[in-house]
Amino acid sequence: MIGDDLRALIGSETETLLGEITLREIQRYAAAAGDLNPLYFDEEYARASVYGGIIAPPNYLTAIIGWAAGPPESELAPDGCLPDPIRPLLPGMQRAMGAGQELEFMAPVRPGDRITRVSRIADATERAGRSGPFVLITFEERYVNQHGNVVVTCRSKVLVR
Amino acid sequence: MKPPLYFEAVAEGMDLPPLVKRPTIVSVFRYSAVTWNSHRIHYDRAWAEHEGYPGVLVQAHLHGAYLTQMVMDWIGPTGFLKKLAWTNRHFAVPGDTLTCKGRVVRKHAAERLVDCEIWEENQEGRICAPGTAQVLLPARETP
Repeated sequence: MIGDDLRALIGSETETLLGEITLREIQRYAAAAGDLNPLYFDEEYARASVYGGIIAPPNYLTAIIGWAAGPPESELAPDGCLPDPIRPLLPGMQRAMGAGQELEFMAPVRPGDRITRVSRIADATERAGRSGPFVLITFEERYVNQHGNVVVTCRSKVLVR
Repeated sequence: MKPPLYFEAVAEGMDLPPLVKRPTIVSVFRYSAVTWNSHRIHYDRAWAEHEGYPGVLVQAHLHGAYLTQMVMDWIGPTGFLKKLAWTNRHFAVPGDTLTCKGRVVRKHAAERLVDCEIWEENQEGRICAPGTAQVLLPARETP
């Protein structure tokens, strides 16, 4: 299933400027998750906390699927997903699902931060599942703020079958 | 302000306060919108059924968000979440009752770090998302 063309994608890093994180985005994210922790909403409360001000939910950056506007609808995959370089290299495998994340948090993310993501495909392995074979793709990402500090690292797995 | 959770107040084997979430189709829609996730499986019921599911799916990341919320609620405004990991093992659909639970596994006194086992289970007790968390807690001030 995994050919040389997919293997060639493994390892190289891509750096993407995600842009400025706004208070509105942070709060919409928290509201959508049904998480009304005052650390994300109440400046006075957050100022008295160990964080000293409003922060984003720790998993906020790594939960966003698309940071750019994205392509026109006609260029999305049939299942509505953003085009990605991997699935075209796995013929017959069209279903992709998130399978989990390992996150490490170094520093909080605050409104106004400008974040850069450095990501790479770390691994692709073939597995035998109960309902047939699948490919497990492992991504590694680190998110860096405008001060050059890594705020979050993420190792995430996506299952393609 | 919620009172601080001190390192000394936590014991190995102790349960974390559970968090009950009942995602609706509106929760799933809003979470897709805000994360710019256009995967049909989260809003197109016919598509989800074609893939063999009983309804649209709760996003993999939303399971993680629920676990994050449980841990952040527990540690309050003076704790720091250092690590969180989960695996998506079983799907969930709107109408499910998802309960996030956790247990303190190990305390590291020198660093004031606490390792926890965490998981999210559905109304049938089936584990949807098992995982782990590590938090940093403040020391109680000694007089």
